[in-house]
Amino acid sequence: MKNNLLKKIVAGLLTVTLTGAFLSGCGKTTDVDNGTSNAEAKTAGYRTLDEIKESGYINIGVFSDKSPFGYVDENGEYAGYDVYFAEQIGKDLGVDINYVSTEAANRIEYLQTGKVDIILANFTVTEERAQEVDFALPYMNVALGVVSPEDAVITDLSQIGADDEVIVISGTTAETYLTKNYPDIKLQKYDAYAEAKTAFENGNGVAWANDNTEVIAFAIENEGFEVGISSLGSADTIAPAVTKGNDSLLQWLNDEIESLGADNFFHKDYEATLLDTYGKDYEDTLVVEGGKVEE
Amino acid sequence: MDTNVITEYLPLFWDALVITLKIGWQGIAVAFVLGLLDAAILHFQIPVLKRMVGAYIELFRNTPLLVQLFFIYFALPKVGLSLSAETCGWLGLGLLGGAYMAESFRSGLDAISQIQVESALSLGMSKGQAFYHVILPQAVSISVPGLLANVIFLLKETSVFSTISLMDLMFTAKDLIGMYAKTTESLFLLVVFYLIMLLPVSFFGTILERRVRHAEFGD
Repeated sequence: MKNNLLKKIVAGLLTVTLTGAFLSGCGKTTDVDNGTSNAEAKTAGYRTLDEIKESGYINIGVFSDKSPFGYVDENGEYAGYDVYFAEQIGKDLGVDINYVSTEAANRIEYLQTGKVDIILANFTVTEERAQEVDFALPYMNVALGVVSPEDAVITDLSQIGADDEVIVISGTTAETYLTKNYPDIKLQKYDAYAEAKTAFENGNGVAWANDNTEVIAFAIENEGFEVGISSLGSADTIAPAVTKGNDSLLQWLNDEIESLGADNFFHKDYEATLLDTYGKDYEDTLVVEGGKVEE
Repeated sequence: MDTNVITEYLPLFWDALVITLKIGWQGIAVAFVLGLLDAAILHFQIPVLKRMVGAYIELFRNTPLLVQLFFIYFALPKVGLSLSAETCGWLGLGLLGGAYMAESFRSGLDAISQIQVESALSLGMSKGQAFYHVILPQAVSISVPGLLANVIFLLKETSVFSTISLMDLMFTAKDLIGMYAKTTESLFLLVVFYLIMLLPVSFFGTILERRVRHAEFGD
């Protein structure tokens, strides 16, 4: 029996070491991939513009549960502000679109592993993210917002008590912002929009912090909730992202966004997808046309 | 891999391990009690109750834990029953585990030949004595491998807790990847911490198995 136990311990240690070696091995190959332009490594990481055109399809990562930006409508089709733009990209590239449903936390992953060619999932441009992926020109403005129940509106973060929890979605800018700037605020984290919304409706958490576009839409659609803080943190933009180093696709996207600006494409997009939710008032604050942010 | 990142993340993973183990073992304790109770009801064929237990086992063995947690955490509040995330965690795990444990215990109880009971009774033992002294020790010995497999299975099932906002090991890793994109380091720590949690269960499980089954194995 002693002998057996020893064998088990040795086997266990071996497993740990091998897993470690395997994973660190993975890390190293990725480093090499990023550093060289060697053809084989390149195809493993991302597909260039020519490769996408040749294959006849493009993989675009969008949200499936973030109405009205990226969601699946009652007919089972993808729809929303991001998807409207994605459709145009497919048309102008002359390829079919293969939508890949993403969650906030795996957007960077999907690009780095080549599961998608472009992320169009309401992706806020931040410094940290720009180190991992390449952002094209912006097509929307965004800041953070906080929504809370009408009978206990939070208009300032200092109102949040030590035992209160604020709902955030894992992998969003709201989570990063609160973790960095308000480490004392307890966060209740969810990994998808649908779950965070349901939990908040059920009365979990004193408030929900997210992109202000999202919380404004939530308060409009759900009675009994009010956006007490409509702009928090810095004013940011939302842009398409491609795998780091995929310059041909990035360049094409930038040209596309600029040329679409000439015929006010994103205003049309707003009117087709966002008008019902936000009304006319938010059009100029939200839309970024031709990649140029107005100060 | 960046060792600084790993050192920085370590405390977060320890916290996650504590939460995972805490809820995991609470759930497993509930599962044991439920399982033993159910197995006894099935074994002694108690009318009405045995039907209810049968329905419970089929319901929980044939739906995923994820669905059960969704129901407990998101649907019950709509009818006025709000439970904390931790309570939902151990309750869901306990209900799922109970169904599996019941089947393991029952397989042990059913494996003991009826002749042994009859012999015990003819020697003058009461029904209770026969169950406690003759059937149970043998039944437990037969059930142990199945029970241990269930324990490991249940601890691994904790990885769906992210749905109900519990910061278990899996969610901690996913969350860190989402925020800082240090994928390799986070996944490495994830695997290591699951092993830290489960290898001892495997080790001590084997020892326990040998102990309770020494009648079959010798030493």
